[in-house]
Amino acid sequence: MTTTLYEDRESAVHRLNPVTKLVAMLSIIIIVFAVQIWWVALGIVVFVVMPAAVISGTGGRLLSLSLKLLLPILIVLVLLQGLFFPEGTTVLAEFGPARVTVEGLMFALGIGSRIAALVLCSLVLLLTTDPALLMTSLTQKGMSPKMSYVISSTLQIIPAFQTRAQSILLAQQARGLRLKGNPLRRVAAVLPLVSPLVLGMFTDVEERSTAMEARGFSSPATHTSFVVVEDPLGQKIARWALAAIALASVVLSLLGVFK
Amino acid sequence: MIELRDVAYAYPDTDHYVLDGVDLSVARGEVVGVVGASGVGKTTLAKIIAGFIPSVEGGTLAGSVSVDDVQISSLPLAEAVAQVGLVIQNPFNQISGAKFSVREEIAFGLENTGVPRDQMISRVADVAKLLRIDHLLDRSPYALSGGQMQLVAIASVIVMGTPVLVMDEPTSQLDPGGSRMVFDVISALTDAGTSVLIFEHKMELLREHADRIAVLAEGRIVYEDNPRTVLTDDRLESWSVGSTRYTRAARAARDEGLTAPDAALPVSLSDSTVYFTTQRTGR
Repeated sequence: MTTTLYEDRESAVHRLNPVTKLVAMLSIIIIVFAVQIWWVALGIVVFVVMPAAVISGTGGRLLSLSLKLLLPILIVLVLLQGLFFPEGTTVLAEFGPARVTVEGLMFALGIGSRIAALVLCSLVLLLTTDPALLMTSLTQKGMSPKMSYVISSTLQIIPAFQTRAQSILLAQQARGLRLKGNPLRRVAAVLPLVSPLVLGMFTDVEERSTAMEARGFSSPATHTSFVVVEDPLGQKIARWALAAIALASVVLSLLGVFK
Repeated sequence: MIELRDVAYAYPDTDHYVLDGVDLSVARGEVVGVVGASGVGKTTLAKIIAGFIPSVEGGTLAGSVSVDDVQISSLPLAEAVAQVGLVIQNPFNQISGAKFSVREEIAFGLENTGVPRDQMISRVADVAKLLRIDHLLDRSPYALSGGQMQLVAIASVIVMGTPVLVMDEPTSQLDPGGSRMVFDVISALTDAGTSVLIFEHKMELLREHADRIAVLAEGRIVYEDNPRTVLTDDRLESWSVGSTRYTRAARAARDEGLTAPDAALPVSLSDSTVYFTTQRTGR
């Protein structure tokens, strides 16, 4: 029970070192936003992200998630920029004050393709990367174990608190709390839930802190790792290459090469 | 071993001592059960022995608390926890929340203290086998029942291998079988030399496994002896401490005048059989 989207499968993408996938995602995002050419972003989606989703067996889930996340954004983008782009001169159609212009549509395509690349890349990373392995890899690469703890525990504890909230709600309902009615009444009905949940959380945080310290959380010893994440030389080289390409794209962008 | 001499403690911003004059010792390889009413200061005492009070929670601590002749309050917390393992009452909060499998959860403390990986693997396997949770090792800690979570929480402390264990109601979420197993594990640990101080309400298990029982009331240890003597003492009720069901039944029969007033009360099933048979025959 976690808030993660991870799908546990066997695939070449799943087997990649999590840090390699993270660096690839960040590099792609930097590249598509630095190189402001729509077909670069679209090319990355078609030739990198989609094959990765197919190979990893997460294509169906990626499609469903991306439709939910991207479709509203893309529709708003096309409507706003396609119809009301102020610098548009090549008019394709007019609907009263709204004008469909080539420039507006191209602008929407540029922004939309970059947002699509960002969202799809992030989703592929989340769908194919075990968060525990990601945290372990990052810790092995030098990230503070405390930072790793904060991220991992947030992923795990939020659903646990949701379960607790549900239990408190059921207990209150068993004592006559009614949740049906107008929105104001529903909000008022949820108030009795807040106090026990928040106070309980304070107690939990204090107790958990004691338990963590009892297990050497602040020990000055060099932390070791129970899980070992493979990191072949080829992937290390690939990470540096991706970072170099991302850096080059930023530099070229600053030099105005992509104008 | 644990040695408490004249320990007194007041919470921060108060001058009321919740503990006042606690004397208690636990020898190497010994199990001592501490019983007392709710709110009498059992959890506070557990935290004092484990080194969390006053270093983390503050307040005023007086008296001497030593583990293996070292004042626990003089140690940095990281060193104190290497000496004393603390099992807290609520297993939900003993779980780190940062690990995605029981196997990694149990290893969490070992990672923190820099134990090499090959040792971690064998220690996690050993403690999982000991507590019969090896079938849960690949599950998420949050997908467990309350009882299973409590066993994982206990395993996560036992695996640290501290010479002293302080357990605050470690079987509160366990069924009778699970509770018995935890006490069997405690016995195995004490056979290997671990000192165990256990705060517990399950008197029948304490009777069976503890070497001594101490009653905490009025801020101090008011009574301490072997389990049979403590559990048959008529003053237990005045300290809001229960007894075994066999003792309660025999005491009720005695108070009704059905059995002899001077007969020793039973503390176990076999005792009870002998007690009631003798009493009936005697009449």
